[in-house]
Amino acid sequence: MDENEVLKELKTRLGDAVIEAEVPRKRRIFVKVKVESFRESARFLVKELGFKHISTITGVDLGDSIELIYHLAYQGSIELSLKVDLPKREPKISTITDLIPGAILYEREVHDLLGVVFEGHPDLSPLLLPEKWPKGIHPLRKEYSLESIRKTLFKG
Amino acid sequence: MTEHLLTLALRVLIYPGALFLIFLAFLYEWVDRKFLARVQNRYGPLYTGPSGILQPFADFLKLLSKEDIIPAAADRLLFNLTPIAYSTLPLVALLVIPIDGGEAVLAFDGDLIFVMFLLTLIVVTVFLAGLGSMSRFSIIGGVRAALQMLGYEIPMGLALIGPAVAAGSLSITDIVRWQSTGLRWLILLQPLGFAILVCCMLAELEYVPFDIPEAETEIVAGWRTEFSGRKLALIRLGKDLEVVLASALLASLYLGGAQPLYSLPGSITFLIKTVLVVLLFTFLRGVFARFRIDQMVSGMWRYMVPLAILQVILVEFGVGR
Amino acid sequence: MIKVPFGPQHPALKEPENFTFEIDGDIVVAVKPRIGYNHRGIEKAFEQRTYIQNLYLAERICGICSDAHTTCYTQAVESLLGVEAPPRARYIRVIVAELERIHSHSLWLGIAAHEIGFDTLFFYYWRDREVVMDLLESISGNRVHYAMNTIGGVRRDISPEKVSMIKKGLDFLEERMKRYIEMMKTDQTVLKRTEGVGVLKRRDAIDLCAVGPTLRASGVKNDVRADDPYAAYDEIPFNVVTHDGGDVLSRILVRCEEILESIEITRYALDHMPEGMTRVRVPMAVPPGETVSRVEAPRGELIHYAKSNGTARPERYKVRSPTLGNIPALCKMLIGCHVADIPIILAGIDPCFACMDRMTFIDLRNGDEWVWTMQELRRRYRND
Repeated sequence: MDENEVLKELKTRLGDAVIEAEVPRKRRIFVKVKVESFRESARFLVKELGFKHISTITGVDLGDSIELIYHLAYQGSIELSLKVDLPKREPKISTITDLIPGAILYEREVHDLLGVVFEGHPDLSPLLLPEKWPKGIHPLRKEYSLESIRKTLFKG
Repeated sequence: MTEHLLTLALRVLIYPGALFLIFLAFLYEWVDRKFLARVQNRYGPLYTGPSGILQPFADFLKLLSKEDIIPAAADRLLFNLTPIAYSTLPLVALLVIPIDGGEAVLAFDGDLIFVMFLLTLIVVTVFLAGLGSMSRFSIIGGVRAALQMLGYEIPMGLALIGPAVAAGSLSITDIVRWQSTGLRWLILLQPLGFAILVCCMLAELEYVPFDIPEAETEIVAGWRTEFSGRKLALIRLGKDLEVVLASALLASLYLGGAQPLYSLPGSITFLIKTVLVVLLFTFLRGVFARFRIDQMVSGMWRYMVPLAILQVILVEFGVGR
Repeated sequence: MIKVPFGPQHPALKEPENFTFEIDGDIVVAVKPRIGYNHRGIEKAFEQRTYIQNLYLAERICGICSDAHTTCYTQAVESLLGVEAPPRARYIRVIVAELERIHSHSLWLGIAAHEIGFDTLFFYYWRDREVVMDLLESISGNRVHYAMNTIGGVRRDISPEKVSMIKKGLDFLEERMKRYIEMMKTDQTVLKRTEGVGVLKRRDAIDLCAVGPTLRASGVKNDVRADDPYAAYDEIPFNVVTHDGGDVLSRILVRCEEILESIEITRYALDHMPEGMTRVRVPMAVPPGETVSRVEAPRGELIHYAKSNGTARPERYKVRSPTLGNIPALCKMLIGCHVADIPIILAGIDPCFACMDRMTFIDLRNGDEWVWTMQELRRRYRND
């Protein structure tokens, strides 16, 4: 299976749920899906197409929304980036740890740094940030600059 | 009478007693460190004295001047007493081993049993030191030392008994004397016993592959993690004396001990033999990885104990005496 | 049941991380990793710096696989710019990457020997590691941070005299490594401590998304160099080393044989290096776009994600180093092991925590950034 076949499969199966799809070069696919159908697309990719390996989850702050990018790999070769947009006010998405147990730390990392809540994740305790880190400050969001974090953390 | 007491005091305190033994301890630590370094492709001590020969002594002095910290949770009595006991016990044991050719300083009938008792007591001290420190690493180290003793104590006892049976005496001085008549070195008569005793001594000394009670990467420094300053200096001295004790035991029981050979006086042959044993220890600890505690104990019981019993049976039936 | 903390300061961990073990007797029943002690805020820092400055930052994500990170970074930026490094540069990238793999693996083998108490072997490995470090120094001028890669190629060429020098060094290394492998395979004490220890089954390795030698030691044929070739790997024949044991011994053997494989790859690359330029001029402005770049670092799959917005600085830069990918698998291996085996299993994935952590950027005590000038350093040392 090469990248174009994967893309065709995805489009026929998921139909309207695919917002954007692109093959920039060999073995790279970028796909954006609707939030509602994220769970179904992830299940289809992992269970039926065999994208069993997750390389990482990237979270990007786009201003008024947070974009999650799941970097999934097919037999180590094709790297598919599955994107989904979440509203920034209440970023919530269902976990994929039941599909890929290896995603457990990546979800915690995104939870720490961008404040995305993964529903159904077994343990969302802080992974990277210190114990005394104040709640609600997510350092990778754009509104927090180095100076503003320092000000909030160390008043006076 | 006074003259006799004075000679005894000189023999206990200076030669071949405490002072000489402590000098030997530092010397052998240097031999061990230098040789291990060469085995491992390093230089070892270089700068203090010629070829760094004074380095162990310098380390000792340095530690004496360092801050002495007692953890708040530690049992103060045990914590203060165990380093002293640990350094004195091997010294006492060494007094019953003949070093300068004649009789040992404190030779008496049955002193071999006395040495065995002291060897066990050293491990008990280690256990108490670990327990008294009240730190996780120390306690685990102490427990491991005690557990390890369960493995090697029986074969060690049997390997010590072999020469006694052959010589028909429980006095180390007598065993040495028995070997010196006609060069009946017991290593030639009971090679198995010698090998077993070397293994058990490696365990007693906590050397690789049996350095389980002080395994650095697992439990920091094991039972002596919390000791510092003077106490650590004493512990290191005790360890060095233990090396002297182990090599002296092996030399006396299996290599003919301090017997004059050709034109060499007894003390010189003793030194040569013990240095050879120390080099053997060092070489062995350079070529192995560390066992796990369960592997060590089960291995000892599975191989060492039957072999040791076999050796004693052979001696009983007249092979090797 | 007792809880034993392992780290942040512990002799078996060369870097500060914390693992809490629940121990029943001598057996580990649960593990809880707590990482982040080494966070330096590199991902946020990437967003504050220009693309050229970020090259130096990427170099400093990790001390041991510094070349892997810059290769990954330059590939990402090159793909954003739409340029490609010239063929000779791609071969030089392969050579440096493979030499780095040899150096990283022999470093690890030394540490593994130290963890099981075999210090003699540790010293031998590290002595021979000097040979490859010297080779890298002669190529790049540096022993650790090679600074070979630049956007659009490599900085330095490899002259014919150096080629023969490298080959001589490789011959020496090959002979030594073969001897060590034979030793590791036959030494009873090594086998006792590594065989059947910290087993990771093939299924678990795939499910938990393990990467690199850890994955290959569980019998999965997976290597970014072969599956998703970059630089010149598509033109170089090589084998992907796998072992089926899934235990620490397999991980040792995989790394040992990978060293031999790397020596072969380097030889081939030196012989078949095409003539030509070593770098191309690249456009000044980075157009908006996004890209995913992958590299097989010594420790496993390394992935960088870059998103540009048309300015001089990236919008978002994400780094995932192999160690983080192996932590879930590590926790799986540790369950059911003896306490005495913890260090060697922990070391078994070749953890590099500096790579893994990249985020905390503030000293909690006084809120200062850790940028010290020479004067400040001097003043501080005089006062203390």
